[in-house]
Amino acid sequence: MVASSAKSKSAVFATEKVGNAAYLDRHNLQMFQDGRSFSGNERDKLFFNRGDGTFADLSDLSACDSPNDGRAVIAFDADDDGDVDLFVHNIQRERHALYRNEIGERYGSFVKLRLKATSSQHEAIGATVIVHGPHGPVAQVLSRGAGFASCQVPELVFGLGAAPAAEVEVRWPGGAVEAFGLVAAGSRWVLIEGEGSPRPIAARERVLPEPLPRGLKLGLGDRVPPLALLSAEGGVEALDVAEAAGDVPLYLNFWASYCAPCVAELPALQALHESGEARVIAISTDAPADSGRAFALFEARGARFPCFFIGARGDERRGLAGLESVIDLERLPIPTTLVLSPGGVVERILRGPLREE
Amino acid sequence: MLPSFRAAAFVFLLFVATWAAWLLFGKDAPQGVEPTPDAPPAVEPVPDDLVLPEAIDLPDPQPRITNLETVEDKTELVADWLLDFSDKLRRRDFSSAARWFSPRFAGHSLAGLPVSGEERLHVDARRRTWDAAAAGVVDRDAFLAGIEELIGPWTRMESALWKVKGAEFQAGDGERWGKIKLFLHMTGTRADGGVSALGGWGWLRVAREEGLWRIQRFQLTSLAETWHEGALFSDVSAAAGIAHQGLRFGQPGNQSFAWNGAAGGDVDGDGLWDLFVPSDGRNFLYLAREDGTYSEEAAERGVEHPEGGTGAVFFDHDNDGDSDLVVGQVGWHDAEGSVGGRRLQLYENDGSGHFEERSAALGLDEPVVAYSLSVFDYDSDGWLDVFACAYGRVEAEHNNSWTEATNGSPNALFRNLGGRGFEEVAERAGVRGNQWSYASAAADFDGDGDVDLYVANDYGSNRLYRNEGDGTFRDVAPQLGVTDVGNGMGTSWGDLDADGRLDLYVANMSSTAGNRILGRLGDEIDPDTLTLLRKLAAGNTIFEAEADGAFSALPSSAGGVNASWAWSVSLCDFDLDGRLDVFNTNGFVTGDLPHDT
Repeated sequence: MVASSAKSKSAVFATEKVGNAAYLDRHNLQMFQDGRSFSGNERDKLFFNRGDGTFADLSDLSACDSPNDGRAVIAFDADDDGDVDLFVHNIQRERHALYRNEIGERYGSFVKLRLKATSSQHEAIGATVIVHGPHGPVAQVLSRGAGFASCQVPELVFGLGAAPAAEVEVRWPGGAVEAFGLVAAGSRWVLIEGEGSPRPIAARERVLPEPLPRGLKLGLGDRVPPLALLSAEGGVEALDVAEAAGDVPLYLNFWASYCAPCVAELPALQALHESGEARVIAISTDAPADSGRAFALFEARGARFPCFFIGARGDERRGLAGLESVIDLERLPIPTTLVLSPGGVVERILRGPLREE
Repeated sequence: MLPSFRAAAFVFLLFVATWAAWLLFGKDAPQGVEPTPDAPPAVEPVPDDLVLPEAIDLPDPQPRITNLETVEDKTELVADWLLDFSDKLRRRDFSSAARWFSPRFAGHSLAGLPVSGEERLHVDARRRTWDAAAAGVVDRDAFLAGIEELIGPWTRMESALWKVKGAEFQAGDGERWGKIKLFLHMTGTRADGGVSALGGWGWLRVAREEGLWRIQRFQLTSLAETWHEGALFSDVSAAAGIAHQGLRFGQPGNQSFAWNGAAGGDVDGDGLWDLFVPSDGRNFLYLAREDGTYSEEAAERGVEHPEGGTGAVFFDHDNDGDSDLVVGQVGWHDAEGSVGGRRLQLYENDGSGHFEERSAALGLDEPVVAYSLSVFDYDSDGWLDVFACAYGRVEAEHNNSWTEATNGSPNALFRNLGGRGFEEVAERAGVRGNQWSYASAAADFDGDGDVDLYVANDYGSNRLYRNEGDGTFRDVAPQLGVTDVGNGMGTSWGDLDADGRLDLYVANMSSTAGNRILGRLGDEIDPDTLTLLRKLAAGNTIFEAEADGAFSALPSSAGGVNASWAWSVSLCDFDLDGRLDVFNTNGFVTGDLPHDT
């Protein structure tokens, strides 16, 4: 709020002047069309329960803290591996976000439970399940529609910590409390009202794919178009990777002078380039003003493979695409290296520095 | 304090804490406010004759500006200016970042500090604290080089924020300068895939030099880094085939305030969890495949239209064993100009995961300005009923109170008539209400066998509708201590203290600006008003269920509640350690520009 004052705000509210539809549309949308934020850059939050009545805010480290203004969330085990993944519906940009839980069973095992009621509607919505875990009985409710505009899946995941098994009981809609006995860690069950013991469910594990780097607009199998880039001297140059690749794989490496891991791996890339097993071409994502510094560092590290710089526009007439058509430079983690097959097709995507492989 | 000023301050606080503040943004800029301070066009070199002080001494302005409006205007001006600077840092554009500094800048370097402590946090996250008192004094170029060094190991800069947490400015006609209490925050991705976050506190002296604001001094109070080796979560959306790229909010095609929801369920009975996502322009139905990817099949399966759905729930409305789907709509942009909401859409599953819309045939005629839906069998007749939270006709009228609005649209409760249709019974059941309701969550919190309902309201107190077992509900929020006055946005039940009882989490809004102003008002305001204002600016609430059936709010110092403008909440055990954790969606609208409101 750059140009407003407490007085003007209070004056408007004091009058209780309230807008009409046209007013809302015209002014508020204009604000957002202009690119302004209102309570923006407030990222999603992840709080871990410490067990002593307090919570640890590890949102910053979670990588599920999108800045795209989340609304609904579904926390569910998407790959049936026993931990809880997240689907978040944002209001813009990457609207649909699926986050794979990478913590897994490092801090405990799980029990997964589905319910079937027999004395009330079969989905048992509103049933309370209590699992007697290592820190005491933990209750969860089977709900359909909670949070904000969010409907969780009808399956409850309980963490067991290091406990090998846990007692399970259900308070069914209608009020009957039923004990289902001890269930082992790492198991999946359906609890059917009145049966008194759980029925096992076969695991349906499926492997969620490895993440793609954010900001990369190409997927595996896509072809990198001829690109307009700048040379170290600042002239516009065409990079046609299909041509450049030849008969060995081409490593297209995105780096910057401010990125320590990028700079550190320049000699390894040079060695790969010299080996003849692959060709290497680098694209520096330094701000244009810093390209001189970047190239000096590039050479000082002994790199002699071609290096291009950002800052050239696409040129339709010459059939050259701008780099922004394949990369969102704001978002791409670096180093990222695209391994291209002859012909310029993305065959592999190396996230982070090259590893000995 | 004059009553009128108190009223103005009160209303202002509400302003910063509520979304209705949009109403103001089309207003012309008020007179007498200085323009946004610009950075100089070129970076002047650090002068050769610069002599750095041995210590950074930052006295308070004396006399300082005390007029609340004036000091808040200047504070916001500097805050936005530092957000512009933060944006340069985020891009690691240090050449441009230099323009924010006086060439004669002197400040504590952030690099090369001795480590004063290291601790292990939850899930093996680590925290390292540096000894800020040992920081050396450096010039501008060395200061920026220090930041570059500190974040050099990051493969990606995720965010940078230099946030104003307090400010005082020199009064009078002399030199124009201010002392800023600063929170520094920068996050980035590590080479091992984990994330690192730098956080610290300090003070800035900012001053006008030749008509431009410049940072003249920086004093470091504290600096720490938290990090985790390897990722806690990975975004696999694009790889899994569910990465819908939406437009920026506000662009044609994505400018509806119909906040879209999401629903999970097994649509085709294959044992894998599918996702229905009402979205911009159309709906999405992501069918889970064995290979770990998803196939989007909304059109083929009959749920692609209409667009703009809000809350959605999978449930078996006709007890035939498959998952049917109900979707809410706020209906603000109907062609006929209706602002009174729309009827819910009910899609009947044919058993194979294909749907037919049957809302009209099932008597779902009542229009509802619906955001969240909760499905449960409120009358225990064996058929699932649908509760729809109704907000307000926001395009037609505004909330008539900030603390207890009574002009919201009525909630709806659709009683299931044996799978053959629905009748609307909210009035009869006692849940109609006239609040601006955003969210609801059903659970048998009192263990008496029938399912109860908590409703979070935006402008006012919330309701805990206890099911009386005779087809009616009674609001017991006041006697059980869960009215939670504040901007209620989302809510969920779950047992956060492992005592076997369902606790209640309520997502609200918190406000940095509100808390800052409250700090300035100090004891100039009566205690009751101050308590109310603090509650409004405070954020989320965790209510722990007690043995006697009542609830008690955890103090906010316990954590788990500071989520700014929060929306949905999930209570799940993400690390499987036997305790439920909290995930909150958060944020209103983030624009491309770094400035914020």
